[in-house]
Formats: sequence, structure tokens, C-alpha cells
Amino acid sequence: MRYIPNTEEQKKEMLKEIGVSSFDDLIKEGVPQSIRLKGKLNIPEARSETELEEKIYNIAQKNSNFYLMKPLIGAGAYRHYIPEAEKFLLQREEFWTCYTPYQPELSQGTLQSIFEYQSYISRLIKMEAVIPSIYDGASATAEAALMSLRLTHKNKIMVSNLVHPHYRETVKTYLAPHEPEIIELPYKNGLVDLEKLKILINEDVASVIIQNPNFFGGIEKLAEISEIVHSKDALLIMVIAESISLGVLKAPGDIGADIVTGNAQSFGMDLNYGGPYNAYLATKKEYIRQLPGRIIGETTDVDGKRVFVMTLRAREQDIRRERATSNICTNHNLNVIAADIFLSLIGTKGLYQISLLNTKSAHYLENLLLKSKKFEKIFDYPFYNEFLLKSKEDIATINKKLLENNFVPPLKICEFYKEENLKNVLLFAVTEVLSRDNLNKVAKILSE
Amino acid sequence: MKLIFEKSIKDRDGYSLPGDLFKEIKIEDCLPEYAISKKKKLLSEVSEVDVVRHFTKLSKLNYGLDDGFYPLGSCTMKYNPKINEKLASLNNFTYAHPLAPEETVQGSLEIIYDLNKLLCEITAMDEYTMAPAAGAHGELTGNLIMRKYFVDRGDKRHKMLIPDSAHGTNPASAAMADFQVVEVKSNERGTVDLTELARLMDKDTVGLMLTNPNTVGLYDEGIKNIEKIVHHKGGLLYYDGANLNASLGIIRPGDAGFDVVHLNLHKTFSTPHGGGGPGAGVIGVKKDLIPYLPTPIVAFDSTHKKYYLLDLGSKSIGMVRAFWSNFPVLIKTYVWILSMGPDGLYNASETSIINANYVLAKLKKYYKPAYDRYCGHECTVTGKEYKKYGVKTLDIAKRLMDYGMHPPTIYFPHFEPYAEETIMVEPPESESKEMLDKFIEIMIKISNEAKTNPELLTTAPHNTPIRRTNDLVAAKRPILTYDDELKLKDELKYKDKNIDF
Repeated sequence: MRYIPNTEEQKKEMLKEIGVSSFDDLIKEGVPQSIRLKGKLNIPEARSETELEEKIYNIAQKNSNFYLMKPLIGAGAYRHYIPEAEKFLLQREEFWTCYTPYQPELSQGTLQSIFEYQSYISRLIKMEAVIPSIYDGASATAEAALMSLRLTHKNKIMVSNLVHPHYRETVKTYLAPHEPEIIELPYKNGLVDLEKLKILINEDVASVIIQNPNFFGGIEKLAEISEIVHSKDALLIMVIAESISLGVLKAPGDIGADIVTGNAQSFGMDLNYGGPYNAYLATKKEYIRQLPGRIIGETTDVDGKRVFVMTLRAREQDIRRERATSNICTNHNLNVIAADIFLSLIGTKGLYQISLLNTKSAHYLENLLLKSKKFEKIFDYPFYNEFLLKSKEDIATINKKLLENNFVPPLKICEFYKEENLKNVLLFAVTEVLSRDNLNKVAKILSE
Repeated sequence: MKLIFEKSIKDRDGYSLPGDLFKEIKIEDCLPEYAISKKKKLLSEVSEVDVVRHFTKLSKLNYGLDDGFYPLGSCTMKYNPKINEKLASLNNFTYAHPLAPEETVQGSLEIIYDLNKLLCEITAMDEYTMAPAAGAHGELTGNLIMRKYFVDRGDKRHKMLIPDSAHGTNPASAAMADFQVVEVKSNERGTVDLTELARLMDKDTVGLMLTNPNTVGLYDEGIKNIEKIVHHKGGLLYYDGANLNASLGIIRPGDAGFDVVHLNLHKTFSTPHGGGGPGAGVIGVKKDLIPYLPTPIVAFDSTHKKYYLLDLGSKSIGMVRAFWSNFPVLIKTYVWILSMGPDGLYNASETSIINANYVLAKLKKYYKPAYDRYCGHECTVTGKEYKKYGVKTLDIAKRLMDYGMHPPTIYFPHFEPYAEETIMVEPPESESKEMLDKFIEIMIKISNEAKTNPELLTTAPHNTPIRRTNDLVAAKRPILTYDDELKLKDELKYKDKNIDF
């Protein structure tokens, strides 16, 4: 076997050195014969590398040719252009094949990169302490909700209905054992219903979870929300599902967020049919002892050199066991390195430009579709790069046309929202991978 | 080494976008004034060349598995085959949107479906969820499944038994499921004390979380009795799969009576660790627990010959993440299993067990084993003999770096009186006898150094990119961003974090 260097002869020699006559002799004590597997595992016999390659290529052909298909769908997973330099650098085995950086002397590459990423995110969202890597936006939001319970010692959470449906589901799953009251905050005209928020909130609420831009793409009135939330001493948890939006939108830390969670998939991560992505979880320095997950800090080595280490470790599971702030251990560090490379490449100007372009192209497409008279607005709300339109035509027909023309269709919003007025409504998403020509083509196909 | 921020030069570009294609549209017409940032957010300004050199240089400060021996105990740092990486990065997979219509992702679904079948056979379980992103995430998922299972039966169990030798994630995960953690002491053979287990296992107890072989690398020989004790009181048995590399084709958790199993695909199944993820901590269950898995799972419609995502309905614990899985990790696992076949999997476990016992046999004169018996795929020895020379296990580990090797896991597990100053060595099947001989030779050399020149160890490492770090300062006065550092240095030129438009 090409991945196992020791030959049968060598194994025999080693067994002799160990002082046993056979492998069975070696394990008979630990694995009673009565529970040992009789016979071989019933799985296919080993294949050669060329046979395997052919097999997987053939399976891959059963997917559509997604490289050529431009997505009109986002909903928490966005296709952005990933510069080749990033993909190339990420192939380096030193990043890929190492373990969690427990030994800083042999891990400065990973540690420094994560520190840089924490620095970038801190600037983007204006929060002081950034946990660089929770698995994804949903689990990060659930961890933030748990953190708010610990910080406030209250047991009520309010969640906007316009937080990504999977994130809301995950919050419910994580919180279920603690039996908190979860209050759903309704929307009105595509944004959080501020009047309802005022009515529903009270001093018993630990935190209010708001996504911006929200799941419909809408841009929330965060300053007003923040005022209402804080007037009742609740914490404001802000969720970002599309982090590229930070290029043009105000930083959550500047508008009153206490905890921010953000899906960082847009920072240089492939769609990969849903993962691995990554999420940051950030807060103010006063709350750092309650943060879940790993964080990197700067210090010096014995020679006085600036170095980076895992720090504030006393919160973590391997030290505190059942009293840890979370069980999280292995996370998505390689995705953090990807994001650090991505943000370094696009830089100050690039982030602004991509964000601006996404905003404008989405509005361009909306305008074209409305002009076609085949679609109509259902809400009059400000949006970033995703928007809802009601189709006058049957959605199955639209999807067929789009797929034939190599576009991944937009999301049928009724898959997640059962309201009567949301039937036959589509959630479109636009990023820079759709050129102006692409958008004109979409409008043309859908007007016919 | 400089940070990327310290290489930044105003107006430098590392990226190209099409020009402004929508000049006629003004940003103010799209976004409300209250939302627009008045200032550009400052990242860094470097060229593509700068970035490539920066990260290439950073990578060289890391030590990876392809650089050499990496015997981290309970981490299974085995070789990551290159064909797996290539096949996981085919465009049809990497560009697939998670909410794309099912008919466009039949290939991806087929892999998830097939992998499920293979994992079920390898572990003797009935169904897997691919959702959990890491081992601890799987543990949480498993705990929530057990919790919901009992809640649905109106059974108010609230305690979880966990051996003192368990990974820290076990008690932390059980606590997240709001279970009260009860520690089970190990006996003098390093395994679960059956009398103690029988005393603790009662009608309020959910069950037992067990790693087998456990974290000192020892098989729990009493597994059949453990199973009887737990099931007899109506409890469930949870298998922490961190050490499955000692079991492939030898013993299957399902056959041993485990009800819930988590597998670290980034350990036993050869997918790379990525410096701390992404991995995958898939969870397998027995039939009765299938309805409680996170929703959805992949199913096959044999009438229409189509794979689809099946909603598990109201018994499911719900979702534990957005979307479905860490998909590329699943492809790599799938490819690995198919490249090994049944004989290859057995060979992997057999070789890793022989490797560990070989290291133990050769080292035990110099580093006393925590328990004097054969081990599984990893061995635990102790460096406590060297304390009298002023040398700690930490010093031995750091000295190994000077010889170009990654240290084993140290100070874990830690429980008295057996496991102190522990050194846990896991030499997986991908390490050759020559490599082990080299490691053994170096460890013996270090043991001599400890006696004759302890300072060489206490000041080690000497020839790594950096030397020992001051961790206390880092925790006491946290510098968590570059801006923290600048603030600390009180750099006046950096008064304003933002540039005006």
C-alpha cells in the first residue's frame, strides 16, 4: 500500500522486538476475541489511483458544470472571484498539513496569519476582540446567543425573522437544552418591525439578534434598533451573512453592536456545496472572558522577538473541561488563512470596489426586471445585493429557462417563508461574477 | 517577521476588477444615507507580489506533516494523499451552490450517500449525519441527539458519565447539552473502573462517553461489561472516535454496543488538519436514533433514481450549522477509503498499533510507561524521572524540535497518580520503521542530555524560527490586533484608523 511504508518483513521484525509472536498476540488482551470483527470489512477492494480518478471524474460529471454557471442565488453563500494567487498559496503543505498551533515555535506562519486576520476583521467591524474561527455563521450566532445568556444571566433571546433561516434553526438547536424563551421578532415591509420590537422587548431579554443586510437583502435601521435594545439593557448581536457588504456599509461597532458574528465565506472561500466556510465572532474587550473559541495574541520570545501565541486559553475546553465557555476545538483555521490572503490581495480599495460593484449590479438587475413587467416589488425597502421580486410567471418555467442558459436560479423564498404574499417570490443575489452582459441576458431571458 | 500592515504602501494594488461598469448608477441612489460608511475601511495596500512573498515566507515558519515526523498523540497525523486534494477540488464540486436545485448536484449527493454506507459498514452503525464540522461539533450533536431521545420518552435523565482520561471536549460538550458531568475514575490498568461505573450508572444517567482505545492509548478490555452496565440501566453508549485508527477492520463500535459514534475524518480518514481545521466530525447512530439526527440527510429515491435531501421532521434535533457538510472533507474521505479497500484499512490499523508498541518497547527503559501493558495505536510514557535533574516534559518536547521533529502530545492526559508529565506518542501507519528508529535514537539522546546537560533542554529550542514564548504576558495584557500593538506603542501617526473618501 503506497501510503504505508512498512513492509510485512519489517512488521515481523518489529513484532519480534516488541516480544510477541504475532499481531494477534499483541492485541488479544485489549480486544477480546468475542468482539473482534470476523472476516473482512464488506467494502469495495482497493482501487489504483488512475481507477479512482476516473471514478470521481465520472461522479463529478453528474453535477452541473458549475464553473460555467453564474449564480443568481446567494442566501448565505456567495460566489465571488477568488484570485489565483490565493488558491496557489493555500496549496502550501506547511499551511495544509499541520495541526492546531499548540507549539508556537513551529507554527508562526499559521499564528501570524490568524493575528493579521483578527486585525483586519477588527478594523472592518470596529470591535476590539475577534475570535477568528467558529465553524460557520450559524454556529457562531448560536455561540453568541449562549454568550449573551452567560453575560446577562437572563434567559430570553429575541431573534429577528430576517436572520438566515439556517442560523435561526441552529440557534434553537444549541439553546434547546437551556430552555430559554426564544421570541421571534416579526418583519414589516422587508425590515425588522420597529414598533413590534418596542412592544416585545423588556428587561428580561438577554439579547436581540439582528442580521444586516437581512435575509431579504434589506438594510436595517441599526441605529434605531440599537437604541431600543439598549434602553432595556439587552445586548445587540449583529449577524453578517455577506461580509463583503462591509466595504460600503457602516461598521457594526459604530452603530451599537455588542457582539458581532459574520460569515466570512465571501472572503476567498469556494462555495463547496455548503462548507467549509468560516465565521468570526467579535466583541468588546470587557466581554472577552466569556468568548468561545480560540484567539491569537502577540507577545515576545526569550530573545525579545515579536511572536504570536494562542492566548486567553483559560476559557477553553482542554483546560476548563465542563466549565469551558464552549467545547469548540478544531475549527476552520485554514479558511482563516484563505481570508487573510484574500483580504491582503483585495486591500482597502478592492474591498470597497467589490462591495460597490455588487450594490450597483444588484440594483441594475432589479431595475431591468421591473421594467420587463414580468416582476413586481412586494416590499419597498433599501437593499444591498439581494432583493425580492414576485414573478408573474410560474417559477418552474423561470428556473428551466435560467438553467438552460447556464444560470443557477434565484432562491424560491417560499422554501423558507410560508406567508401567502411570498408565494412565487424569488430572492435574487448579484455579485461581481455576473457581468453587465450576463445581467442583460438574464433580463432578456426572463422577459421573453 | 513583519506583519502585512507593515508592508503596506499607499495606493498599491493586489487585485483587479472590471472598471466601473455602472457609472450611471450612484451609490446614494441604491443605499440609504444612514447605512453608508462615510470612511473607507483600512485593510492593507500591497501588490500581488508582496502577498505571494509574504505568505510564502510565513508558510516557511510552519512545520507540516510533509516536513517530517509529527507524532501528536490522539491527533492521528497521518499522511494526506495528494490525489484526494485534487479530486476534492474539481470545479463541478467546488463551485456548487448549496441551495442549487437537486438535479444539478446529483454527483455531490451520490458521494455523501455512498460515503454514509461505507462509514456504516466500517463502524457497524445504521446511519450517519455529515453535518458536524469537527469532532467537538459532533460530540455536541451526539449529546443533543441523546438528550432529545430521552426527552421524547419523558425520561428526565440529566447526568453524563465521562472517564477522567477523556478529552476535554467530552465534558465541555456534555455541559453544552446541559448534562451534569460525572467523572469516572480509571483503574490501575488505565481503563474504566467497572465497580465505579456500576455504582455511578443509575436511572438519572444518560450514559457514558468513551474513547476506545482511550486517550492513554489503551483498549478498554472490559468493553462488554461496560456495555452491559450502561444498557442495563437504560443508558446510551457514546463512542468518541478520535482513536478509531486502532480499530479499522479489527473491532467495530457498533458491534461493541455503542449507540452513537463520532468520527474525526481529519484523523483516521487521512484528510489534512489545516492548522486547526477544517475537518469533519460526522455522527453515526443505531436505528432507534436515526429520527433524531440533524436534518436533513441524503436519501435515494429508487423510483426516480435520484438522490435528494430528506427532511427528518419534528423528532430531529434541528440544524447544527448552515447548509449540509464540510463537503471537500467528505470527498477526501471517500477517495481514501476506496484507495485502501478492506485490506488497506486493516493494514493501517495493524501497522499503527505495531508502530506504537515498537516505540513503547524501545523507549520504556528511558521513559517509563504510564501503564505496563501493550498499547493501541499510541503509547503514553512519562518524563517524570527527569524532574530530579530539573527537566520537565515540556523541556524534552522543546528539545525534540532542535532535532527537526514535531513533539508528541504532552501533559495530556493528566490525572494522578498514573498520568503525570505525560508524553503521548502516536506514530500512524504512514511512518516507516526507519523514521521510528530515528525518533527513538533522538529520544534516548535527549534522555542522556537531561542527565548530563539539563540546561540544553530547559533553554530549548535553539534552532527554530522563534524560541520559547512569554505566554503569561500575552494573557495578562492581551494584544489581539495590530491596532492594539500600535496603541500600545502610542504611535501618534496612527491616530485615525480611517481614510476619508
